[in-house]
Amino acid sequence: MQKTKPFHRRKILLIFAVCMLALVFLIGRLAYLMIGKSEYYSSLAEDLHERERSIKAARGRILDRNGTVLADNRTVCTVSVIHSQITDAETVIEVLSEALDMDEETVRTRVETVSSMERIRSNVDKETGDLIRSYGLDGVKVDEDYKRYYPFGSMASKVLGFTGADNQGIIGLEVRYEEVLSGTPGTILTLTDARGIEIEDTAETRVEPVAGNDLVISLDYNIQQYVEQAAYNVLEEKQAESVSIIVMNPQNGEIYAMTNVPEFDLNDPYTLTEMYLEITDEELQDARNQMWRNGCINDTYEPGSTFKIITAAAGLEEGVVTLNDTFYCPGYKIVDDRRIRCHKTAGHGSETFLEAAQNSCNPVFIEVGLRLGVDNYFQYFDQFGLNDKTGIDLPGEAATIMHQKENVGPVELATISFGQSFQITPIQLITTVSAIINGGTRVPPHFGVSVKSEDDTLLEVFQYDKGEQILSEETSGTMRYLLEQVVDGGSGKNAYIEGYRIGGKTATSETLPRGQGKYISSFIGFAPADDPQVICLCVINHPQGTYYGGTIAAPVVKEIFENILPYLGIEKTEVDESAEE
Amino acid sequence: MLTLAILFLCGFGLLVLSSASAYNGLVRLGDEAWYVKKQFFAMALGLAAMAGIASIDYHMLKRFSGAAYLLSLLLSGAVLLFGDAYNGSRRWLSIGPLSFQPAEYAKPAVILLLASAVSRMMGKARGGAMIAFVFLMVLPIVALVGTNNLSTAVIILGIAVIMIFISNPKILPFLWVAVAGVGFLAIFLSLESYRLERLAIWRNPELYEKGYQTLQGLYAIGSGGLFGLELGNSLQKLGFVPEAQNDMIFCVICEELGLVGASLLILLFLLLLWRFMVIATHAPDLFGALIVAGIMGHIAIQVILNIAVVTNTIPNTGITLPFISYGGTSMLFLLAEMGLALSVSRYSVWPGKRR
Repeated sequence: MQKTKPFHRRKILLIFAVCMLALVFLIGRLAYLMIGKSEYYSSLAEDLHERERSIKAARGRILDRNGTVLADNRTVCTVSVIHSQITDAETVIEVLSEALDMDEETVRTRVETVSSMERIRSNVDKETGDLIRSYGLDGVKVDEDYKRYYPFGSMASKVLGFTGADNQGIIGLEVRYEEVLSGTPGTILTLTDARGIEIEDTAETRVEPVAGNDLVISLDYNIQQYVEQAAYNVLEEKQAESVSIIVMNPQNGEIYAMTNVPEFDLNDPYTLTEMYLEITDEELQDARNQMWRNGCINDTYEPGSTFKIITAAAGLEEGVVTLNDTFYCPGYKIVDDRRIRCHKTAGHGSETFLEAAQNSCNPVFIEVGLRLGVDNYFQYFDQFGLNDKTGIDLPGEAATIMHQKENVGPVELATISFGQSFQITPIQLITTVSAIINGGTRVPPHFGVSVKSEDDTLLEVFQYDKGEQILSEETSGTMRYLLEQVVDGGSGKNAYIEGYRIGGKTATSETLPRGQGKYISSFIGFAPADDPQVICLCVINHPQGTYYGGTIAAPVVKEIFENILPYLGIEKTEVDESAEE
Repeated sequence: MLTLAILFLCGFGLLVLSSASAYNGLVRLGDEAWYVKKQFFAMALGLAAMAGIASIDYHMLKRFSGAAYLLSLLLSGAVLLFGDAYNGSRRWLSIGPLSFQPAEYAKPAVILLLASAVSRMMGKARGGAMIAFVFLMVLPIVALVGTNNLSTAVIILGIAVIMIFISNPKILPFLWVAVAGVGFLAIFLSLESYRLERLAIWRNPELYEKGYQTLQGLYAIGSGGLFGLELGNSLQKLGFVPEAQNDMIFCVICEELGLVGASLLILLFLLLLWRFMVIATHAPDLFGALIVAGIMGHIAIQVILNIAVVTNTIPNTGITLPFISYGGTSMLFLLAEMGLALSVSRYSVWPGKRR
């Protein structure tokens, strides 16, 4: 039998020593991990174990200028079952299928599904949710939730916008004032195992949500109603593609109404309105975006004759023309080698500048434009703010599409002078014209007025620029007179309302490409002409039949004014018939 | 002393296992105590085996060492052909309701075989020839086990190396072998990209999806702090740490008992190793000394590698923690080995009281 030799013992000792060193090292390693990096790893582990359930914050409401609620929240419930907590499955199935008016088999399948949480139904009325909760069934969870609700459906849809699944603004004011409206969601922190199942008997941390604030906007529910009604009437009557109307206070830029008919249902914004029904599936989202477009600010168009207001203002301000300058219109004007026609082919003959404005005579305005010259014209274009966006508080405002100055020759200048060959948005036009008639200050158009808390405390009043002086007060006065004359005895006479002093300008432009018989008819009007309190632009896209702005757009503005002027407290003035003659 | 330490480890292991396995038992098998029950059964069997083996004269086993080794080869071969797969590896042989892992049996078989072979050859063969011969002897079992259980094969090889190291008076050649081994390992690792990936995961477990297990282990360890969350309060065992009752059980110990508890456990293992060392150096003959030294090597390798893996000190490989991790076969044969060590200790020769 072999005896153990000393070297055997030494080596056994050596092995033991090495193992001891290794184990001591591992204790050191453990100490490093458990003391040194304890905070790091335990916080990571906590993140892993804590299941954050977010509690939606109630979104702030949107109120019109008189406090009418335009966008509200409805409490809805989500009913779910937690399989592992159900004690009496049969009763649960019976109660749920009855209360929710659902097929018993459907409910049964969901109740019997082995999952951490199975949703039975969402968007359940609060009453039904309360009823289900009152049964106190084990394993049945009724979670309250907020859903955006628009009491007036499609009213001002493109202005207000709507919210998505997480209550976030998608378009319109809802997205522009997201910060005001959204509030801060709360959270419930619970500990869960790896399958995401909450561990019972552990403390849950709850952070309460903070409700969003109410947004008060300058829109007036009643005016908006009138305006949409008028827009729908003309849309139908003229079989037009769309009608855009803006009603604004020219003095401070507050917008009373803005519509683009057809509007869409804010409570069901993903369903296409009739006019888009023939669209194919792939184009669905495109079609929706199209449907949600706010033509007043997202789209540009050739303003046509309404733009003669700008040409006139620039000409008068620069002194290249006065109201009494006389011109002769043979029915066309030759610029370079081009013969540009007047809409009255026979010609207006001899006329003063005032009469030319009443007649909306192209050759005269071409002449004024040419007198100004490219440099001056562009300078005024810029000075009037037409190169910049208006800065309206809605997303997606389109920029002006204008010639490069160096590419503008006499022909281009001529067309610009009567509002063709470039494009601006309706909001740009109404903002610029407001400045021209309000004494010369360009005020930013806007909806946002103030922010109120849930309990009606005023938190913030939005401050807007007083506006830049872009035109002398004197020229502004002249322009008011000129435009009143257009309505009084000129092309805008269809907007005339007895007892009111109304100024305005019509426009009819053929859309590009020309020659398809597609027109845009528009009218911009304001009242009272001597002290404008309200300005209204109506743009009718692609009307069928008669398409003259003076014939179809001016009456729309007239109808609106007839309704809203008394509503706004603007009194009829005594009409002195004899003086008027 | 040794018996006490073993019993304490067994009791502690059962306690920790009951905590660590409760969730997985409930979720997978619908019984919180499923793992503990099976482990307890194996432990009872093992303790009986330990007591039985401790009471016999270990010299008797010298005669059976060859046969025992052949049996282990047979069983390891059989498992390749008829084994049950679990978690993708064929490691289990089923006999009726019982399942059995031949690789666990191979460890004591190899210890016995080498102890007997080396003690017989001592004085007959010399140095290099003996080393080569011994290696040739264990190669078949290493190869058989290694085909589907690389970690256990490495452990067996490690035991063999330690026993050969002890049997040879020189140290320097073993250093060369170690250097060669490291070189071989480097080549082995670089041959397959997935092995290099394992290394990369080891360096930065956060960056890899496959670093999940390691990272979850570190979360558990880090969460423990000095005193832990108290027994039963581990969150990481709730499905986050995979196999919380098995290879990763040490993380749960760290999380629930803290640095203090985990260090005490390591010290307990150290005490066990120290006892083996004492018994081995006082064994009456080389055979006994080598048996206990082999057992010491076996326990040491598994404890060190397991803890090194869960603390991400070395790259991940599946090695269980002796007496603590769930595993019936492992428990049974570990306790059988303890019986062997106890048997050797009965014949210890203490200086001063020679007989």
